[in-house]
Amino acid sequence: MTARAPAPHPVITFIVRRLIATVFLLIVVSMITFAIFFLLPRLAGQTTRGLASQYIGRNPTPAAVHAIEQQLGLDAPLPVQYGRFLRGIVLGEHFNAGTSKAYCPPPCFGYSFKNQQPVWPMMVSGLPVTISLAVGAAILWLVGGVAIGVISALRRGTLFDRFSMGVALAGVSLPIFFTGLIALELFSYKWPIFPNVQFVPFTQNPLLWARNLVLPWVVLAFLYAALYARLTRAGMLETMSEDYIRTARAKGLPERTVIFKHGLRAALTPIVTIFGMDIGLLLGGAILTEVTFSLHGLGLFTVEAIQNQDLPEILGVTLLAAFFIVIANLVVDVLYAVVDPRVRH
Amino acid sequence: MRRRKTIGLAAFAAAAALALAACGGSGGGGGGGGTTAKPSFNAGVAHVVNPSNHKGGTLNFASSAGIPDSTDPGNTYYAQMWNLTRLYAMPLMTYKSCPGKCGLQVVPDLATAPGVVSDNGLTWTYHIRPNVHFEDGTLVTSADVKYAVERTYDRSKFPLGPGYYPSLLAPQNATCAKATAAGKTTGCYPGPYVDRSKNLMGLNAVETPNSTTVVFHLAKPFADFNYVTAIPQSAPVPSAKDTGANYQLHPMSTGPYKFQSYQINKQLTMVPNPHWNPATDPSAKQLPSKIVLTFNVNPNDVDNRLLAGDIQVDLPGTGVQAAARTRILTTPSLKAQSDNPVSGFEWFMTLNNKVPPLNNIHCRMAIEYAANKTNNQTAYGGPYAGGAIGSTAAPPNVVGQKHFDLYEATTKPQGDLTKAKQQLQLCGQPNGFSTGITYRSDRPKEVSVAQAMQAALTRVGIKLTLHGFPTASYTSNFAGVPNYVHNHGLGITVYGWAPDWPDGYGEFYYIADGAAISPVGNTNLGELNDPLVNSLLGKFATTADPAVRNSYTPKIDMQIMKDAAFLPIVYAKALLYRPSNLTNVYVQPFYGMYNYAVLGLK
Repeated sequence: MTARAPAPHPVITFIVRRLIATVFLLIVVSMITFAIFFLLPRLAGQTTRGLASQYIGRNPTPAAVHAIEQQLGLDAPLPVQYGRFLRGIVLGEHFNAGTSKAYCPPPCFGYSFKNQQPVWPMMVSGLPVTISLAVGAAILWLVGGVAIGVISALRRGTLFDRFSMGVALAGVSLPIFFTGLIALELFSYKWPIFPNVQFVPFTQNPLLWARNLVLPWVVLAFLYAALYARLTRAGMLETMSEDYIRTARAKGLPERTVIFKHGLRAALTPIVTIFGMDIGLLLGGAILTEVTFSLHGLGLFTVEAIQNQDLPEILGVTLLAAFFIVIANLVVDVLYAVVDPRVRH
Repeated sequence: MRRRKTIGLAAFAAAAALALAACGGSGGGGGGGGTTAKPSFNAGVAHVVNPSNHKGGTLNFASSAGIPDSTDPGNTYYAQMWNLTRLYAMPLMTYKSCPGKCGLQVVPDLATAPGVVSDNGLTWTYHIRPNVHFEDGTLVTSADVKYAVERTYDRSKFPLGPGYYPSLLAPQNATCAKATAAGKTTGCYPGPYVDRSKNLMGLNAVETPNSTTVVFHLAKPFADFNYVTAIPQSAPVPSAKDTGANYQLHPMSTGPYKFQSYQINKQLTMVPNPHWNPATDPSAKQLPSKIVLTFNVNPNDVDNRLLAGDIQVDLPGTGVQAAARTRILTTPSLKAQSDNPVSGFEWFMTLNNKVPPLNNIHCRMAIEYAANKTNNQTAYGGPYAGGAIGSTAAPPNVVGQKHFDLYEATTKPQGDLTKAKQQLQLCGQPNGFSTGITYRSDRPKEVSVAQAMQAALTRVGIKLTLHGFPTASYTSNFAGVPNYVHNHGLGITVYGWAPDWPDGYGEFYYIADGAAISPVGNTNLGELNDPLVNSLLGKFATTADPAVRNSYTPKIDMQIMKDAAFLPIVYAKALLYRPSNLTNVYVQPFYGMYNYAVLGLK
């Protein structure tokens, strides 16, 4: 008689199941993205020669077009090209650089059609910028937005409430490229408190890292904090009028416990969901903020890839962004269990 | 690419190339010398502003885009990059470092003198300077020049640069000659990475009889060959240090600066090359102690940083944005630190000879007369940011260009509707007709000009349908694919051009010669195939005497305009800003931007 193996913890089962689903989801995303950029243009009449000649200087000869077709692997059937792409992610890829065969280790997202360089290192080099920007701004907007939302809800109708919600409305309405340029004009050029904004790695100089990111953090956080303040306020107002809050108060619980343990906790659930989506999206590239402040993160990388119609770069950055969103949602789902006791049951 | 059959001699072509462009000007700039001027508006167009030999400081460039193609001198086709490569690469020939028309002269750089022509124009011999070293101290030899030329044959690794050497130099063997005639490459030299000959020196068309002599054997005489060797592709590359597609990350410098670090599309830092000798490179200077180029900076931020003095040069040299332009032009102190040169580009529209009803010359002439040239100019940003209204197919900084105005572009810039209607009568379309206009939909100026044309032509009953396409696939998939153009009735194409070198051949061959029409990536967008134009360009390629050659330029230009194949928009201009601490500043006319090889800081 053998002892039965203990059943795995439900949370671990949940995470493993979600991770497997994530892989399938990413494969589907890669197929759709690949089809959009490689298959649809063909259906619209684009030829591989036409595609290849996008990556040649002016006045290309047929021989030059043929050479680049072969170099970029565009002469192979589309399923083969897609298979190569997937294989590169799992097993890596060899690339003929001329003088040698360069090996691109997994996860190799292929070689840039324009720069003839592996996509993955170029993307990864932008990650510290995007992560620094997204995480710093996220802390600001989460703390600021939720705090303002709670206070506004508790002091509904007061001057503070009206003022903060007015500012929040402005924050939601004003695009980043507007607030960003105003911030640069005022605080970088007119009063050079933050002059010559450029990314400095945290490992190189933490103070300079922070100083250069203050403006982008604030500008990005302004938009999101405004949104979160309004959402938190609405959530809190709804929660605080629930019967169980009245019951909690009737039981004689201290007001602080009523607000934070019973009110805010329940109101936070949708906030956590949205936060997961937002942070996931931003990690895939805070395009407007990065473009406005010239920060060389994934957002700028994406813009450059699209302008050059560099298909491997576009594919790579799309998959990475999808990965971040899926993972962020996974984390959020796990966090639900912490925030909302009902989920645990 | 293939060239037309040509005959004749190219003797004295070296001297011709020099004399061709030797039109005087301020003379003798030599990278900071020559005539000088106090800072004032347009002072940098014809004079050196702030001449100085002061050393030190960090010279900051910024660009609102990424690297346009490549930092590899063998793989670039952009004026800004040809200008920039002079800081780390010495081609055989280059453009004389001086302002005004003086700067259109092609002069020796790595070579000791222009090419010596022999063998009825089929052989060009260059001697290279004996004491030029790479950044690692290795002596530059003729083999390094030959190797650099060999690399350009591998179009799979270096697709972005020009393809002149494979098309101009003699075929590798009889099989290759036969294949070339059929548009193929069987038996032709495959480039050094596939070459199995000793020391990878297998290209028969280039010989190196000794360590300082390079001999080029041409398939046909080509009198402009000195211009070809002024393209950065002839800058030496040591085969032992070549890393193929990765060479762009650290090209071995022969110029005053060498790469210290480089992240593609992010930042490039250059420091002085200790093995550079000013005596062997009169076209460049080594003044700043560091040069930093930052890419992908927000366009308005580039201007703000420029005006604040955080950066000194806007790398693309295409001028400041609208906000900064207004500020500069309305502030006298800022205006005095700006220049508004002709950039070398001409923006124009081609009127397609094959798309009905524009296959009738009178229908094309109706469009020429009906267009509102002032509105077209406004679409491009007006006289400062757009340029002067054009009336010829060649811009003014092409040597030999002459002004004429067949369609009243400058005398009746709003258009002459009476003459337009007369032409419509002659065309057999008295009530007008419909056709399509193509433009790059991600270029607001081109969108505006297409809309301006639509409004202007409606006045005489010509209906334009708008067809915008992305820049990246404009010539590769749409406007440059004649079949697509014919099938979709696209009679007008918005385009622009800057020549590969500043003479009539460099300007016109690819945009107006019938032999240049190609099925994909076509740049002769009007599909002009006029025997007179073709014949004059053929003579141009083989005529040694520069005066005779230059005399062909206005004739070709006139014939193109008589054919009503081009509708000029503007001779492009850009408003450039030069911070007060920048020294040796002047516009190098061929590049249409400041000469990057000689800049310094106060």
